[in-house]
Amino acid sequence: MKLIWKLLRQHVSVGQLAGFFFANLLGMLIVLLSLQFYEDVLPAFSGEDGVMKNTYIILSKRIAAVSTLSGEAQTFSEADISDLRRQGFVRKVGAFTASQFQVYTSISMGGVGMGTDMFFESVPDEFVDLQWPEASDSEGGEVPIILPRTYLALYNFGFAQTKNLPKLSEGVVSLIPMDLRLRGEDGREWRLRGRVVGFSTRLNTVLVPESFMQRTNAELAPGAAAAPTRLIVEVENPADDAIASYVQQHGYELEDDSLEAGRATYFLKVVAAIVIAVGLLISALSFYILMLSVYLLVQKNAEKLQNLLLIGYSRARVAWPYQLLTILLNVLVLLLAIALLFWVRSLYLERLWQMFPALSEGSVDNTLLIGVALCSFVSFMNALAIRRKISAISRPR
Amino acid sequence: MNKITLHNTLPLVFAQRPDVASDLWRQDVCFERGHLYLIEAASGTGKSSLCAFLAGYRRDYSGTIAFDGRDIRQVHTFEWTGIRRRQLSLIFQELRLFPELTAWENVQLKNQLTHFKRDTELATWFEALGIADKRDTLLGQMSFGQQQRVALIRALCQPFDFLLADEPVSHLDPANCHIVGELMMNEARRQGAGVIVTSIGHHMDLPYEKTFKL
Repeated sequence: MKLIWKLLRQHVSVGQLAGFFFANLLGMLIVLLSLQFYEDVLPAFSGEDGVMKNTYIILSKRIAAVSTLSGEAQTFSEADISDLRRQGFVRKVGAFTASQFQVYTSISMGGVGMGTDMFFESVPDEFVDLQWPEASDSEGGEVPIILPRTYLALYNFGFAQTKNLPKLSEGVVSLIPMDLRLRGEDGREWRLRGRVVGFSTRLNTVLVPESFMQRTNAELAPGAAAAPTRLIVEVENPADDAIASYVQQHGYELEDDSLEAGRATYFLKVVAAIVIAVGLLISALSFYILMLSVYLLVQKNAEKLQNLLLIGYSRARVAWPYQLLTILLNVLVLLLAIALLFWVRSLYLERLWQMFPALSEGSVDNTLLIGVALCSFVSFMNALAIRRKISAISRPR
Repeated sequence: MNKITLHNTLPLVFAQRPDVASDLWRQDVCFERGHLYLIEAASGTGKSSLCAFLAGYRRDYSGTIAFDGRDIRQVHTFEWTGIRRRQLSLIFQELRLFPELTAWENVQLKNQLTHFKRDTELATWFEALGIADKRDTLLGQMSFGQQQRVALIRALCQPFDFLLADEPVSHLDPANCHIVGELMMNEARRQGAGVIVTSIGHHMDLPYEKTFKL
């Protein structure tokens, strides 16, 4: 082996190999780094600790000026809902049920009374981020109500501040009894007691239990079977860009900015794909450089190779030094690329953690696996090409 | 391998010549194991072509060449590796040694492949052929006569049924000619091999059993 190498290293061009080495290193590094960056940054857009915390989105139909004037329905049909259920990103779909009766609520505190017309909505219990109290729907009892947490903030920091009214804590609010007057179409009126039992961050509406809503709607507005105007959807991953495109296609609207995360994820994917493609292109070009260099080497050493074959060396044996050279170069490139990857990663992870302290570290396994796969593939192709080239010169004329 | 046969063989370059008068071309010829042959040739009669055909690196001939009855056109490249390593040893006219290696390394390159001879035996041959002092000299710095002797040693570093020596002593003085002939024949007899020597006039004084005029 030593002697063969001594022979076959003649005409090895250090310049060409160095050119290949750095080009391949650059290509490999770009591919691995973009893969790893994608892996590391993606959780920041999705998942429990990310920008998008909840896995629930709320859908409504877009309200356009034309539909307002034409009185076109803004409700979801059964077909809409079942189509939505079939989507891969959907876990569960729940409809908002609106009250089909009028609601008047009043409270009295220390002799001061306040009252307002309002509405109720309900969603299936499993979508509510709080627990309803036991036996909440028993007739004659108090009607539990969940308010959006933003309402309390609005009152405390907007209204109460300017009107010199006392600020209310969640606990205090839930002590205040409410008088509810529910009036149906036919003029029938129910008087009930109500009480705020909690504040929801997920649901931006005045919620009552689903069972209460159904019973009351049936009693007070027996004719009106209303289709839902809003849907609550539990999704696999709110940052899934499929959601964004589905919503766009069907002309729906998303409450809050959950779509933004989807768009950002999509953007991240596109950028990562472009960068990976550039990396692969550089890798392919470097592969080409190496192949040209080795072909040139084989051509320059053709006579030596042929003489070796004529004294009984096999093609595999004379190809091996060149194959080994390229494999070693490829492995060296891989190792160096991985080392650089870890170094660059430590730099950006620090920044990332400053922005998202709770972000969990992405796994490097996939990236390493892909790096090894790429290296093996390139080495295999190199070895194959060298073998073919040597076979070509060993063929009798 | 016991027999090398040529049937109606002719290099393609001679195809246009109707007057090829030769003991070998366009004839039925058989070389047998254990025998010694001389092929005498004038320049341009296709001697080197014959060696290239037998060594399996050229196929520009018509007719048939067969090893033990098997047409060598059917022999696969990987089989040639085995044939060149164990059955057919070659001394090329142009030697095909490696000038960037020393004389000793040139021989080792072959012996490391076959593990056929011990270093002491090789050293004895270097001694006998008068090139012991050139052992560690780069081959490129040696005279052609000295290189011929290195090529002989390399050719003997393997088992063979036939030894094909293409002008092995063209640049040797009579004394060295004699030593080369003796060494070559001793090894061939020991292995029971056939020997085919070619020459353009200046040849070793050996008991040839058959001489072909090419």
